[in-house]
Parts: sequence; C-alpha cells; structure tokens
Amino acid sequence: MSEEIKEVAKLQSVNALRKTMDEYFLRLSTAAETGNKKIAWCTSVGPAELLYSMGFEVYFPENHGAMLGASKLADKYIPTAVAHGYSPDICSYLTADIGAFLQNETPLQKNGFKSVPKPDILVYNTNQCHEVGDWFMYYAKHFNVPILGVNTPLWINELTPSIINGIANQFKDLVPELEKVAIQKFDLEKFRETVHLSHEGCVLWRKVLETAKHKPSPINFFDSAIHMGPIVVMRGTQYAVDYYKILLTELEERIKNNISSIPNEKLRLYWDGMPLWYKLSSMSKLFAHHDTCVVASTYCNSWVFDDLDPKDPFESSAIAYCKLFIVRSDDAKQNVLEKLMTDFSIDGIIYHDAKTCARNSNNRFGLQNRLNEKNKIPYLEINGDLCDSRCYSEEQSIIAIETFIKQLSTRK
Amino acid sequence: MYKIGIDLGSSFTKGVLVDDNNNIIDYHLTRTGFDFNKAAQKIIDKFSADHEIQYPVYTCGYGREELKIPFASNSEIIALANAVFKHYNKKCSIIDIGGQDTKYVTVSESGQVDKFKMNRKCAAGTGSFIEEIAFRLDISVEEFTSLAKQATEETKINSYCTVFAVSEIVGMIKKGSTMPNIILGIYNSVIDRSVELSPIEDFLVITGGIPDNHPLIVNLFKKRFPNCDSPEKSQFMAAYGCVLLNLENNI
Repeated sequence: MSEEIKEVAKLQSVNALRKTMDEYFLRLSTAAETGNKKIAWCTSVGPAELLYSMGFEVYFPENHGAMLGASKLADKYIPTAVAHGYSPDICSYLTADIGAFLQNETPLQKNGFKSVPKPDILVYNTNQCHEVGDWFMYYAKHFNVPILGVNTPLWINELTPSIINGIANQFKDLVPELEKVAIQKFDLEKFRETVHLSHEGCVLWRKVLETAKHKPSPINFFDSAIHMGPIVVMRGTQYAVDYYKILLTELEERIKNNISSIPNEKLRLYWDGMPLWYKLSSMSKLFAHHDTCVVASTYCNSWVFDDLDPKDPFESSAIAYCKLFIVRSDDAKQNVLEKLMTDFSIDGIIYHDAKTCARNSNNRFGLQNRLNEKNKIPYLEINGDLCDSRCYSEEQSIIAIETFIKQLSTRK
Repeated sequence: MYKIGIDLGSSFTKGVLVDDNNNIIDYHLTRTGFDFNKAAQKIIDKFSADHEIQYPVYTCGYGREELKIPFASNSEIIALANAVFKHYNKKCSIIDIGGQDTKYVTVSESGQVDKFKMNRKCAAGTGSFIEEIAFRLDISVEEFTSLAKQATEETKINSYCTVFAVSEIVGMIKKGSTMPNIILGIYNSVIDRSVELSPIEDFLVITGGIPDNHPLIVNLFKKRFPNCDSPEKSQFMAAYGCVLLNLENNI
C-alpha cells in the first residue's frame, strides 16, 4: 500500500550556507580574474591554515569533486579522464575533476568562473590517501606551477613523537617555498590567529554534529554532508566560525522545541565511509520514510580538529592532521567507532564500501566483524561509490537497507 | 477465501496459493519481464480461476510496491527467513541463489533475521551467470544437469566476470576439457561465490531458482556441508513467507 511521504525537516540555515559558499567562490573568482590575491590549491585535510595565514585564496579540488558528484555530472566526466589514461579504479573525485577540466566544464561556471581558478601553487597532504599527489601533479604539470606535499604515513596506530615531529617539520619546510609564491611573508602571529580561528570553527562544527546525540536528532548525516562545506573550504577563517554559530543556534533551538530532523525517529544509524553524492537526496528520503535517522558518520566527523592550538601552531597542526580517522590503523579506528556508537546511541551501522576509495572504506580488513563482536551492533555493507554511480546498484541496495531497518526494528 | 503470496524477482515472479490452514495448495511461476503488474496478474488469474481470492495480495521482491491491485509488501529476505524457519523450526543459515542476487541470511533460534548479506559488485554465480554461459555455448539450461552428471573431474573456472568466463571456457575447450567437466566447474563456481559471503556455521538451507532447476548444485553443497538441506520448490519460499508474515501482523 502506498504510505504517506515523510519529509525531512528543512534547515533554515541553508540560506546562510548558500550565501557563505557563494561569497567564498566570489573571493576565489575575483582573485582568479584580478590577481589581487594568489591562489593555492589545497587538499581537504591539507595545511589550509598555513595558506590562509599567508594571504592565499584557497581552492579545494576535492570539494569540486563532491560538487560534480552531487550535481550528477561526474558520470559525464569520468570516462573522459579514463580515456586519457586514468583508471576507473582510482579516486572518482580525481577522475571526475580531471575529466571535467579536460572538457573545460565546471559547475563553478554558475558562480561566474570561466574555468576552475588557475593555481599559483598546489599543496597536498597524503593523510587521506596518496592519490591526491598524482591528482595535483596533473595540474602542476598543466599550469607549470610549483607543487608541494606533506607526506603523512598511512595506517598510523600510535601517534608517536617521531611521527608528529616529522610532520611538523614538513609543515615548516613548506614556508620558504610558499613565501616564494605568496604576496606576503610568513608571519607566526598571523598563523597563530588562523589556527585559533580554525580551532574555533572545528569546535563549533563538533558541537553541530553532537546535537545529534539528542533524541530525536535535530540533524541527519545527509544534512551534515551539505553543511560541512565551510569547515572544509574555509577552515581558519572567520567566515566558517560565523556560519557555524548560525547553524548551531538553529539546531539548539530545534532541540529546545523538540523539532527533529525526521518526523518520527525510531532508529538511529551510523554511516561509515563516503557519501553517495549522487544519491544524497533520495537516500535522505528513504531513511526518513522508514523512521530512521542517520545521526552520525565517519565522514563528517573527519573535520573535527580539536587538537589545533595557536600556542604551538606547527606541532598542533601535525597532531590534528595525523589524528584524522582515515589515516589511522584499524585498531585506532575501532576505538573511535566504539566511542561514537555509545555517544550517539547507535542501533545499526551502514558501511559504504566505495569502489574508488579504499582509504575510506573501513570494512575491507574485518573491522566490521571485530566491532560487531565487541558491541553486538548489527551492520550492513553496501557497495557503491562517491561519484561513479555506475558502481552502485540502487534496487539491490534499497532492498538491503529496508531489510536491515526491519531487522533492527525487531530488536527494539 | 484463499491468500496469495507473490515474489516479484528480477527474472521470475513466483506465486503461492495458501488455504485457511496456511498450507500451500498451488504454485505458479512466470517470467517477470518489464511489467510487474502483468506478471502479478498472471499469478492471480491462474489462482482465481478456481478459488476465491482474498485481498490484499502479499508481495516481496523488486516489484513489491509497483502493483495497481491492493497489496501489502515485505522484504523478501525477512519473508524467506520466516518461511524457512517455519519449515525447519530451528536456527539456520540460508543461501538463496536467484536470477541476479545471491543472499546469505542467518536465522536465530526465535526465527528472527540475525544477519544477512547479498552478492556485491557483480552477479557472477547467480542465475544470470548460468543463463549467459548456456546461451553462449548454445546449450539449454535444462541440459546442464544431465551433462554435469557425466563429469569425470571438475574443470575450475577462475574468471570473476560472466562474459570473460565464456572466453575462459572456450580456452578450456581448446585444451581438451569436456563439456560435462566444464559444467561441473561452473556449478562449483556458483557455490564458491555464494560461500564467499560468510563462514558457514549452522544448519544450511539452500533455496532459490538455481538449486530448484539444477539439483546437482544442492548435492554439491551437501558434499561440502553435510548439515545441509534444500526444501522442495524452494524458490517459492519467500512468496510463502510473505503470507505467513502478514498473518502474524494481522494485515
């Protein structure tokens, strides 16, 4: 029988989000057109604070990749990159982004860009994966501009002083190279100020995510995936701080007035891995329809860098960027997940095994079974991808998700 | 009044007619095609010719919510687990091999779904795999069993991909493998894919169109897992489970 359609309560802050993101893109396009500021390209968990403190406008190709996925354009561009020698098995942010570039198209054209903003320098950090280096190298060669990298070891179990010192030194080594390109010299006080703003933004973002501990939750993962834009691209600026104050106020108001993200929250799920950007809206509706709220996720929590400390900006940046969930060993990841399950009162876990994102598919080495043995929380694995929708079998996944929800309902 | 359970699968639609004592009194199978309504109507027409039918009909499978007639839908995995548990009345694991899905379901002592998994990424080892190979080699699916019975040894099929499996088989034929030995290899590769889903620990129940149409596969399962069974007309289990589930829920 057809049932009533249950809608996810729309956040009013989305207008402020749009404005904040539009202004960010305006600053970038102005810099691209007028040259009033130098442009650095940066990985999403790269040294954004250092770049902002030295007066760069900062552009994030991964954010562009997510935009291509969310706007359902990635499938149009991935084959172009594949035809140019990029495997369909590598990061689909990369293949969608390079494919779009090869076709001279970008969703940013709606924001007044002729093309993606030309970089003066590219800076990456391998703390998410090593493919970002290959991705940035394509553009460094194309534009004939310098490329710098922070090479973080993968699979960090214990965060030892030698790892922290090594990464802190790599951050310091960036400075003279950045100074050659930047309009202004490195200024430690400015860097401290940027790290302070970054920390403030991250704390606000954490508080936003933590409102989902409340039953019923005022926010769900599909909202968070959209509202995380400023913490990714404006981390270290007042703009991100200002935006998350607005969003947090709205969510706290929701809690006060008992307004929930979905109309009738009965089950609370955790989403591990990447979003399916091209299915965000339909996924959101699917879970709401079944009175299920995805209250927390590995993905959104990855941008909480509490360890940033203006007193020691280099070392604390190293700690924050090496503590990132994605770069940790399975044992370290399991510890993080165990705590999140308890904190957010999770009934079930969905692991998204993304075909082109090995580093953020956390169900490939038995972690899902080890965690289940420990906390007995049922889990479901679904196969898909962040941008390449050809890797996702929708009907099969819907059946699996609906069955999983029924399975969890019988346990309540 | 008789109740109808319908499992609208990707390849076939399975229907059961159930009497007041909750016994199946008739079965019907039809190709799903592209019109779920038409497939369901074929089932209903067949059963309603001689029996008075009760609505809603109980549905599961891909087309479970696409019908224009009154229906109550279920998850086919929950329905399958329910029917299998009613049949054996004990904790078990189910491997269900259908047209394009292979499912692994564990059922608790109380008859609840404890855990389930589905084939991931590709449909090798499902009905589509066998159909494609039969089509390419110009052998009818019906001939598979009789040919496999003549096998003297297994020829191992390695390829993950159904299409490339055919070229692999062509290579084997060139090297002198016989068709019976190759078909035995195909059957074993179907089993290999399904047991990759999870370790098998409990009493194992094999269901679906593939074991029904290829009984040798059930025998091969039993060779590997002695604590194993496959109920008669096992591909109708989910359709039957739909009826049983809704009786429990008074729908």
